[in-house]
Amino acid sequence: MPKCTINGKEIEVPQGTTVIEAFKMLGDDICHYCWHPGLSVAGVCRLCMVHIEGMPKLQIACNTEVRDGMVVTNQTDDVKDTVKWGLDFHLINHPLDCPICDQAGECGLQDQYMKFGKYDPEMAEPKVKKHKVVDLGPTVVLDSERCILCSRCVRFTEEVTETNELGIFNRGDRAEIGTVQGRPLDNNYSLNTVDICPVGALTSKDFRFRQRVWYLKDSESICPGCSTGCNVKVYFNEEGLWRVKPRYNAEVNGHWMCDEGRNTYKYVNAAHRLKKVKAGQSGDWSQEEVFPETMKLGEKFRAAAEKNPESIAVLVTGQYTNEEFKNFFEFVADELKVKNIFHWINNPEKFDDFDGLLLRGDKNPNTYGLKEEMKSRGGFKSLEDLQGKMSQFEWVLVLGPENQSQFPDLKEKVDLLSQAKSVIWLSACETPELDALRAPTHQIPMKTYIEKEGSFTNFKGLVQEFKRGTTVIEDALTLQEVVALLRGHELDYRNRPQPIGGTKKNHFTNVRGQL
Amino acid sequence: MSKAFELSKEGAELVKKELTRYETKHSAIIPALYQVQKENGWVPPESIEYLAGLMGLPESHINEVFSFYTMFNKVPTGKLHVQVCTNISCSMNGGRELAKKLCERFNVKPGEVSKDGLVTISQVECLGSCDTAPMMQVNDRYIENLDFEKAVQALKEMGAQ
Ligand code: SF4
Ligand code: SF4
Ligand code: FES
Ligand code: FES
Repeated sequence: MPKCTINGKEIEVPQGTTVIEAFKMLGDDICHYCWHPGLSVAGVCRLCMVHIEGMPKLQIACNTEVRDGMVVTNQTDDVKDTVKWGLDFHLINHPLDCPICDQAGECGLQDQYMKFGKYDPEMAEPKVKKHKVVDLGPTVVLDSERCILCSRCVRFTEEVTETNELGIFNRGDRAEIGTVQGRPLDNNYSLNTVDICPVGALTSKDFRFRQRVWYLKDSESICPGCSTGCNVKVYFNEEGLWRVKPRYNAEVNGHWMCDEGRNTYKYVNAAHRLKKVKAGQSGDWSQEEVFPETMKLGEKFRAAAEKNPESIAVLVTGQYTNEEFKNFFEFVADELKVKNIFHWINNPEKFDDFDGLLLRGDKNPNTYGLKEEMKSRGGFKSLEDLQGKMSQFEWVLVLGPENQSQFPDLKEKVDLLSQAKSVIWLSACETPELDALRAPTHQIPMKTYIEKEGSFTNFKGLVQEFKRGTTVIEDALTLQEVVALLRGHELDYRNRPQPIGGTKKNHFTNVRGQL
Repeated sequence: MSKAFELSKEGAELVKKELTRYETKHSAIIPALYQVQKENGWVPPESIEYLAGLMGLPESHINEVFSFYTMFNKVPTGKLHVQVCTNISCSMNGGRELAKKLCERFNVKPGEVSKDGLVTISQVECLGSCDTAPMMQVNDRYIENLDFEKAVQALKEMGAQ
């Protein structure tokens, strides 16, 4: 293992490590645009310049391997000067329209020219005009003038998705990113190009112009979109969630996530959510307070179970955390001795699919954890047994989905319930399908993955913990809280997490007049 | 969509042979594009799609090469593609004026096809024949040590009106 010295610090690195990787290991700052740890080395931006002792000229750190005894620095004046002028080249035709650019606040170019003081390029020549607001596909917009031609996005479609939609066409200062004959950039991973674009050239249609990034808080989480369990960062403020981005985890998702998973923030926001208990039948609903109503339900539910556990059926989706499942089955299966527990699989035909990159057919984050929890309790009964037998049950309790868009069989399952005598339906979101149900039904508002903490076990058995990010619907319950209320325990509502900012609409409401 | 494009049987054979000649398939892109231009006079967009299929390469890679080089005609040309050099040596010896006067004489704007479909006159960078400046390339032929009369004469001999 070669040893080298970087900015005066000694470090031993594995054979084949590049100088830039050594910088990253040490956490030392180094300017770079084209290098990305998840892609091949291009060496085109020329900004990662370093001085290596014994070499007559500056070298690019991204394409230089560490040799034993190398002494490297990027703190000399000639390095700083070279980077500064390199930056000037990047700015020759760049519009510097940060105030209206969606990348502002998290832009590599902005960071560097603020650092090097290149607020204006020193070229007197008029700037080359290029294509703006290019509709690249269903998810991405391109502003060619902002592009610094680092080729990260091109390498992504070439190396990661192997779809090759993007290319650099034409030459010199007319070179532009594009697709052949304007065909769409349309694959389930296209939004990763927006993440890796170091400038504001590629922006997400879903996110652009909706929030300034410096008004967003973020928190680390796990994507609930499928059983892969990509590590993500969620971004939110007082008004709810705004976007989901991937977080590096070599074991699970590397640097990437799929576009489908990025949509999982949408159902978290208030418009779709259940806010109170909805009680009623045949589409005639009344809104009830969550705590007392659920406790009332619990009394009846427990009484029925004590009389005859066979009068109760439970339908479970893999959408809850390990901790929730454990707690739930301890109550329902161990305490109340309910045996009729069924696994609701949302798309049985595609359940084992895999797209070769990340996305799996099992669109639940915790099927594995659910099955583990049920193993010691004899597993599930087959859903087929339920067909036509619904009327046997006094109560059907459904641990419904929070990510309903991945449940194409929602209506089918609601139809299955049509013969039931009474239904308790847990879900984070409104379920209009339930309007058709004639049985007395209670819809109980649940928390989403961002509003609770716990762990999901992914398809290969990896347990991944996550923390609570924010609270959107205060009254919504976690499954543990539902269990507590059904057991007849009071909840200490004063210590429950509150939404941030209360009723505040926008960050500006508070800082107005102080700017 | 534009109509499908295909090379002649021999053309396609040649492209396939080029594919095996180099370490990477990508090296065969330029000969392939030249073959298209030779058979078709210019490189139409649908030929990129065709080559991608024939060569087993992504369209974007072929398009990158195609759009990088100016030697590939992006639009149809007249029967005689007249490329007048206007780089330094030729310009110093009257290349620019020559190009301008030729356009007037044959009544055609730079880069466009004359009404009779016979000539296209375009200005290009150095063609590596500075010692015989000013010069022009007509299709595959270099015509050197030019003045206006000599250029017109040569073009007329080749069929221009
Ligand atoms: S669009 Fe962005 S990622 Fe792609 S080459 Fe330009 S700057 Fe790089
Ligand atoms: S692959 Fe699955 S876990 Fe990963 S982002 Fe997509 S939906 Fe989420
Ligand atoms: S990061 Fe090294 S040249 Fe771009
Ligand atoms: S400048 Fe015209 S051939 Fe070189």
